[in-house]
Amino acid sequence: IKMPEDSGKELTMVTCSAPVNIAVIKYWGKRDEELILPINSSLSVTLHQDQLKTTTTVACSRLFQEDRIWLNGKEEDITQPRLQSCLREIRRLARKRRSDGEADVDTAGLSHKVHICSVNNFPTAAGLASSAAGYACLVYTLSRVMGVEGELSVVSRQGSGSACRSMHGGFVQWIMGQQGDGKDSLAQQVEPETHWPELRVLVLVVSAERKPVGSTSGMQTSVETSILLKHRADSVVPARMKEMIEAVHKRDFTAFAELTMKDSNQFHATCLDTYPPIFYLNDVSRCVINLVHRYNRHYRETKVAYTFDAGPNAVIYTLQQNVEEFVQVVKHFFPPETNGGQFLKGLPVAPTTLSEELKQAIGMEPMVKGICYIISTKAGPGPRVVEDPSEHLLGSDGLPKESA
Amino acid sequence: MSEDSGKKLTMVTCSAPVNIAVIKYWGKRDEELILPINSSLSVTLHQDQLKTTTTVACSRSFQEDRIWLNGKEEDITQPRLQSCLREIRRLARKRRSDGEADVDTAGLSHKVHICSVNNFPTAAGLASSAAGYACLVYTLSRVMGVEGELSVVSRQGSGSACRSMYGGFVQWIMGQQGDGKDSLAQQVEPETHWPEWLCLEVSAERKPVGSTSGMQTSVETSSLLKHRADSVVPARMKEMIEAVHKRDFTAFAELTMKDSNQFHATCLDTYPPIFYLNDVSRRVINLVHRYNRHYRETKVAYTFDAGPNAVIYTLQQNVEEFVQVVKHLFPPETNGGQFLKGLPVAPTTLSEELKQAIGMEPMVKGISYIISTKAGPGPRVVEDPSEHLLGSDGLPKESA
Repeated sequence: IKMPEDSGKELTMVTCSAPVNIAVIKYWGKRDEELILPINSSLSVTLHQDQLKTTTTVACSRLFQEDRIWLNGKEEDITQPRLQSCLREIRRLARKRRSDGEADVDTAGLSHKVHICSVNNFPTAAGLASSAAGYACLVYTLSRVMGVEGELSVVSRQGSGSACRSMHGGFVQWIMGQQGDGKDSLAQQVEPETHWPELRVLVLVVSAERKPVGSTSGMQTSVETSILLKHRADSVVPARMKEMIEAVHKRDFTAFAELTMKDSNQFHATCLDTYPPIFYLNDVSRCVINLVHRYNRHYRETKVAYTFDAGPNAVIYTLQQNVEEFVQVVKHFFPPETNGGQFLKGLPVAPTTLSEELKQAIGMEPMVKGICYIISTKAGPGPRVVEDPSEHLLGSDGLPKESA
Repeated sequence: MSEDSGKKLTMVTCSAPVNIAVIKYWGKRDEELILPINSSLSVTLHQDQLKTTTTVACSRSFQEDRIWLNGKEEDITQPRLQSCLREIRRLARKRRSDGEADVDTAGLSHKVHICSVNNFPTAAGLASSAAGYACLVYTLSRVMGVEGELSVVSRQGSGSACRSMYGGFVQWIMGQQGDGKDSLAQQVEPETHWPEWLCLEVSAERKPVGSTSGMQTSVETSSLLKHRADSVVPARMKEMIEAVHKRDFTAFAELTMKDSNQFHATCLDTYPPIFYLNDVSRRVINLVHRYNRHYRETKVAYTFDAGPNAVIYTLQQNVEEFVQVVKHLFPPETNGGQFLKGLPVAPTTLSEELKQAIGMEPMVKGISYIISTKAGPGPRVVEDPSEHLLGSDGLPKESA
């Protein structure tokens, strides 16, 4: 076990980073609000931290008077129940380790307060799955500080459901579990990020505005009012999970892609079947969907898939050989603002030209300013410790550094 | 009796209404006979505002069946038209062979000329196929002397047309038989049952999308649709019929909104997905929910068909304010023609409190016009001979 930095001194500080994940079989709806237990299993792809990540520093010291947390430069309310769940659970696991006689735990540290500082390298409110990365990072970093090993996804799950899937890299399933205490509701890696190197991901950021209905209350209303959601959870998702896991194992892109699109649409269908109805897709999202179907139809092959979470941003899955052309297609039909900043971020994508035939086959009106920018990325690893001490977000006084 | 019986040309003109479903039909279990996967319920709208008028002329001097729709000659061999013609003629022959003396037997082998117009734009997606086929079947029945149950015939032209065979509140019973004889429409309550009940047809700026292939794809690909048809609609039909009997607007309205949303949810669950709702539709939906929430009462309901138009249901006492709310949030174009058509609606002012409670930004040109109407009667004969759309030569009159 790696010892936290500066153990034995007055201040222990650890910095970690954790990834975002995008579900291909969606989680929407809880059977237990407090423990965050879902009504169906789900499966996601963990994205690479080079493009999207949360970085969190936790400092632990007997000199701290209270737990405190700063998110993206602003101090937030530490008493927020989800944060409290994570802190409480990690401390409980740490005490358990101590009482199980694991000698190398700094016992004094368990009663110390913590200062937590966290930043995303992407806009928080843009619906880019930030709560998953955030809580996964928090839990992982706390575990490194307090010397907790082993199964951690049950802890991050209690911060935000989808955060449990961010505890692993590659292709991850969140097994819904059956127990009332939630101990069997946890995430498991299906395949590592190295399994499918040709798989690529494009995040189309439609708007950086806040999403209209938050996921927590949205899914609660859906569970309460949508009859179709119950049917989905009981009768549709179990079979889809099996099919998706098989598609991942076999690297069957066609099956992976079609299931992904169907599941995204079904999730949004249950939002529409909610009362009052919830709309996460807007006209830009619908255009992206139509674009993908027309592109695939032109080639008579499922080359590209879309999925949408609880927000208008599109996540596109495709294989390496299709990335250049599809990025060009997006640029053509969603022309960027001329002075709107860098349109394509992340992994480099070479420009290419589109044939007239393809443009005509798609035959849609370009939608100017529909998409703000594209992040090009791929599957990536789970949370990790950041070794470089210059990356700590807190200073030796336990307060956020100037630049953080 | 048909006009001019015994002479060379028989001509009858009828008009038939539009209907808007509150429990939606979407999906067939038989494509040819047009048998649905679930029952549905609709409100028949008043013909003073929306109707199809059809003239059928029958003569032994006609060489072939012909049809003109909204001024343009169309293909009479189109299968749905053929189904209706064939079925009506079959029923007429049956009446003759059953010994009903007053049928002009010669007429059964005569060809027909059909001319039909809508008093609303066809491309606006205002449920025109229902009115059109209902009118066709009703008029043919008057010409050929066919009485009794006709909705099974119009159903074969267009499913929802069977509901336009009656006024007021109408259900289309899905039926169980393979031959479709028990899949027919029935009046639940007449149009006089709920006089306070009003309807606003809100026309958005967009082309409609065809529903036949859409619903076929839905049946083939949406598992949520199957569940809807089997497990959700039967209970909703019962609740809706009860709400209509009791004039319970709250129950009627909430079921209407939920069913509209669920129908569109199954479209989204189709592969590839079908979108009938757009940003204007969403705004109307949000507007209605905020309006109702402000009053803590379900005063207004929306429903959307397989097209861009919104249909709003409300009671008489709410119509003036709600029309004003719509005008405020969807300001009409200044030179866009008459914005409010149909039954007169007095202007009114909105309180600041209401505007703030709704809290939405106006959207210019989101809505082209509003037709204000109410529940209305079923198809009827047009007695005035000047309203015939065909001349005595059996061809469309100049002005038609």
